[in-house]
Amino acid sequence: MFQLRWVWKQMDGFRKRYIFALCSTVLLSVMALGNSMITSVIMDTVFQPLVDTGVVTEQAFDHLIFLVAVLIGFTLFRTGFQYLSIMTYEGCSQKLVFKLRRDLYKNMQEQDQAFFSKTRTGDLMTRLTGDLDMVRFAVAWVVRQLIDCTVLFVTTSVVFLATDWLFALSMLAVTPIIFVLTFIFSKQVHPLYVDLRERLSQLNTCAQENIAGNRVVKAFAREDYEIRRFDEKNADYKKANTKASLLWLQFSPYIEGLSQALSISVLLVGGAFLISGRITIGTFTLFNGLTWTLTNPMRMLGMHLNDLQRFFASANKIIELYYAKSTITSRPDAKKLQDRMKGEIDFSNVDLNLHGMPVLRQVNLHIQPGETVAIMGPTGAGKTSLVNLIPRFSDVSGGSLTIDGTPVGLYDLHDLRHSIGIATQDVFLFSDTVDGNIAYGDSSLSEEDVQRYAKMADVDFVNKLPDGFDTLIGERGTGLSGGQKQRIALARALAVRPSILILDDTTSAVDLETEKYIQEQLSNLDFSCTKIIVAQRISTTKRADKIVILDKGRIVDVGTHEELSQRPGYYREVFLLQNGMDQEKEVV
Amino acid sequence: MARNKFDVDETLETPFNIKHLLRAGVYIGRHKKKMILSLLFSAISAACSLVGPLLIQRAVDVSVPNKDYMELVVLAVIMLVSIVASVLFARARSKYMIVVGQEIIYDIRKDLFEHLQKLPFQFYDDRPHGKILTRVINYVNSVSDALSNGIINFVLEIFNLILIAIFMFLCDVRLSLIVLAGVPLFLVIVLLIKPAQRRAWQDVSNKSSNINAYLHESLDGMKITQAFTREEENREIYAQLNQKCYDTWMKAQYTSNLVWFSVDNISTWVVGAMYLIGLWMLGPAMQIGTLIAISSYAWRFWQPILNLSNLYNTFINAVAYLERIFEMIDEPVTVDDAPGATELPPITGQVTFDDVTFSYDGKINILEHFNLDVRPGESIALVGPTGAGKTTVVNLISRFYNINSGRLLLDGHDIAGVTLHSLRSQMGIMLQDSFIFSGTIMDNIRYGRLDATDEEVMEAAKTVHADEFIREMEDGYYTQVNERGSRLSQGQRQLVAFARTLLSDPKILVLDEATSSIDAKTERLVQEGLNALLQGRTSFIIAHRLSTIKNCDRILYISNKGIAEMGTHQELLDRKGYYHHLYTAQLET
Repeated sequence: MFQLRWVWKQMDGFRKRYIFALCSTVLLSVMALGNSMITSVIMDTVFQPLVDTGVVTEQAFDHLIFLVAVLIGFTLFRTGFQYLSIMTYEGCSQKLVFKLRRDLYKNMQEQDQAFFSKTRTGDLMTRLTGDLDMVRFAVAWVVRQLIDCTVLFVTTSVVFLATDWLFALSMLAVTPIIFVLTFIFSKQVHPLYVDLRERLSQLNTCAQENIAGNRVVKAFAREDYEIRRFDEKNADYKKANTKASLLWLQFSPYIEGLSQALSISVLLVGGAFLISGRITIGTFTLFNGLTWTLTNPMRMLGMHLNDLQRFFASANKIIELYYAKSTITSRPDAKKLQDRMKGEIDFSNVDLNLHGMPVLRQVNLHIQPGETVAIMGPTGAGKTSLVNLIPRFSDVSGGSLTIDGTPVGLYDLHDLRHSIGIATQDVFLFSDTVDGNIAYGDSSLSEEDVQRYAKMADVDFVNKLPDGFDTLIGERGTGLSGGQKQRIALARALAVRPSILILDDTTSAVDLETEKYIQEQLSNLDFSCTKIIVAQRISTTKRADKIVILDKGRIVDVGTHEELSQRPGYYREVFLLQNGMDQEKEVV
Repeated sequence: MARNKFDVDETLETPFNIKHLLRAGVYIGRHKKKMILSLLFSAISAACSLVGPLLIQRAVDVSVPNKDYMELVVLAVIMLVSIVASVLFARARSKYMIVVGQEIIYDIRKDLFEHLQKLPFQFYDDRPHGKILTRVINYVNSVSDALSNGIINFVLEIFNLILIAIFMFLCDVRLSLIVLAGVPLFLVIVLLIKPAQRRAWQDVSNKSSNINAYLHESLDGMKITQAFTREEENREIYAQLNQKCYDTWMKAQYTSNLVWFSVDNISTWVVGAMYLIGLWMLGPAMQIGTLIAISSYAWRFWQPILNLSNLYNTFINAVAYLERIFEMIDEPVTVDDAPGATELPPITGQVTFDDVTFSYDGKINILEHFNLDVRPGESIALVGPTGAGKTTVVNLISRFYNINSGRLLLDGHDIAGVTLHSLRSQMGIMLQDSFIFSGTIMDNIRYGRLDATDEEVMEAAKTVHADEFIREMEDGYYTQVNERGSRLSQGQRQLVAFARTLLSDPKILVLDEATSSIDAKTERLVQEGLNALLQGRTSFIIAHRLSTIKNCDRILYISNKGIAEMGTHQELLDRKGYYHHLYTAQLET
């Protein structure tokens, strides 16, 4: 039930409207009895005397016209009010969805890499689509129906009891059994819905990965395997869905049967009372006409509780995401950046553990403003992890990392990251125009500026595209070659005029000539900038002021190209290898 | 669906088309027996539940005036029987419907997914992945109810309507006609609302597709967003899409809810009219029991109409989704097995490009009159400027795209005439983008050959020198990695992808910038391991690192829609052309 309380809390700002909607349902439920009431009056005051006297009087006719007018007017009012009520429900539920979407999106933006590496995209998508829709459905429909059921049931019971308590009790006798059955059902169905929800998330993930990995699937001709895998998830989902739905059928015959049995009471008890003269035909008509208002709530209660259980299962997932906390956030007393960062970076005894494994150990590195530092080392040495510390994609586990003398943790996160330009290894471009992608970090960038940065990163191929800079490129930049994507990513990083530029293996797929051009551009930037370049190619690292060799999370060597290529070690080996001088055996 | 980004609606201009529902009929048709039985059961169940008012009428009109208690009891027993029958038949029907409904969405989703597997790269490149995903999951779920219960309820409500009408007419013909008089009025209202309603629901489906596409992209690119501190602006965009969802939904509700509003009011007018005319025409001759019964039927008569109009809403909604689903199922498969395609027998690895011309868009040719003959076991390096078409050349061998003219032969078999599966399963392709599926590392490598034993997987990993780092992870080969392999470094991902390719034991190996993020030392070790394996395999290698390519048998310099230079490393150096220029550039830097 805390899920409902949570939703209630989220409705701040339109709670009054929702209360209005709730109240209107109560009123409408009562008003739903109106038609029967008026009909009953018509029976008692117009038709009954008619049967008794056998004469149609002018007066009776006028009276009927009046009552019919009341009936029509009342219906118009009731339906108009109901329309308003439903639209209020829809409005409130949509406002809630709007707010939750907004907040969840924001919260996801604040999550750290640890969150994204353990949560699958497909699962997050399920939460923001299926689960959110379930919450909407509960607020707009289930709650309304539950109130409607309750009010109808209670009012009818009261009316019945007031009219003829014995007749009423004969009808209400079965209700406790129905409630007990419904309650048991609702308890049993809950775990089934939790399971169903999980299956949906798995199905979602399976499809999502297949779509994202479509190139690999095709390359290995694994379509049949993928179809089998998907089929399994699809069948699981079907099974879980069927199971949850079939459970209701174990209960429904009893609930349905018992609630319909009320009509037998009307027939038997009502008939007998009519004969004995205990009740009038008007009372009988009232009971007969209102049987459905007792039957329906009892029949539907199970369904609504069923929906409510689905809501609970979904709401749990939403609440969980809503309160997911990132470990990397700005401190309340975070330092707002007044001026441009100088770009002096200092790693002091830095340790880093990720997934419980040591990644960096005792890293000491000082980088002067404006310096160009290259980081090299074997695959998995921790190069990317090292540079990821600077924009705080992860936080150090030990030691300290300062920029311009201030620990990174003390900066306002936005300010810190805003001063850093990154081109990551795994190039992600957005399905937007080339222009939009380059200006991603600063969308106020003028067209000339975009083209200037594009030129620096040698994004000249864009001019050959049909719409130039306005060409739409797909997600992950598919349709472009690896080198082309990397160059766009580089232009994007340059366009924010960062104080610190991090190039994480950004030119690996770029041909050498282009790379040489790019390097020249980088050394002549019109803004001050510390550059950190992770690379595998000597051609990339050669001109750096300082080359850092990383191995198994430790810095094993630091020096310039001249120094390192002269002394035995990793760098010299790679240098010789890459220049095709296959003499490493002699060197070792 | 043309090339598209998240905020572009995919408008369908076709008018409401029953065709889509009929097409969905194929899926429903598979469960013909169950559907027909369900209908039958429902009809019986509905008929049984209609007995009630008749019995009560009888009681009021006959039993009560006669003070016949016995008859009351008899009527009660009949009612009990009818209720039990009604409930049991209803239950049988529900059971069938649940099963059928689930089968139908299972089938549609299966067909959609299977079709997706056949669609070319282009399809995936051209649109946000979130839009594809929304169709496979959310849209299919949305049509399930309409196609199972919806169809049955539709037929049922019509049954119901007819039955109620019959019972009503049995009571009194003239009064029944009055009740029917409201129907034309209602139809006029529905026809007036219909077009707006359909448009409104289409908008809803469009906007939800858009917001999901944007969400999906946001999640995938979150690291970039955070790095560029674009959160606020993205929130702004998301909020706008969110607002549009809100607006379209409310609009759809405003129109849709008019339907029951009209039904409720019309039915009241009709009953009112019935009372008045009943009194005026029939006068005292009218039996009160008849009037009670017929007014009960009159109210009931409009219930199925209301239900039908709600169902109509559901159908309009479902058709909006079905249109999108079928549109995707109809997406042409541009690269498919030719009619009568044969299995490509095990090949030796001879590759022939015979006057091949290719263009992605039919306008700008990427390759023109391209000729190349590769001997089995030869290693070919492709170099040249970015975007010159190196990747295109290798993609054509796997027939990821169809060539526009010329022929491409493997061991003398035209690849256009063999099955894609037999062709691609003999190729090992390592792409620039090494996608890792979520699951264990073991599973990821095994993707290359599904029946490989654990030992074989580890053997492949050892060959590419991935074994060491894998064993260092907490669960070794059974460590869970995520989609896009975010736990692995780029270089490690490439090594895993490499092992995966190797395990598939291809006759032709394509390495497309496959080792760019692997450090030079590891790459050298990898290559030593590979050299033995490359014996007897034809290989195509695209790389920028000259150390990777200089030992290849032949080096092709791709530029200007064809081969600009071709020869061994030494030959090309002596020629002092493009390659020489490239080589010296690397030495200089």
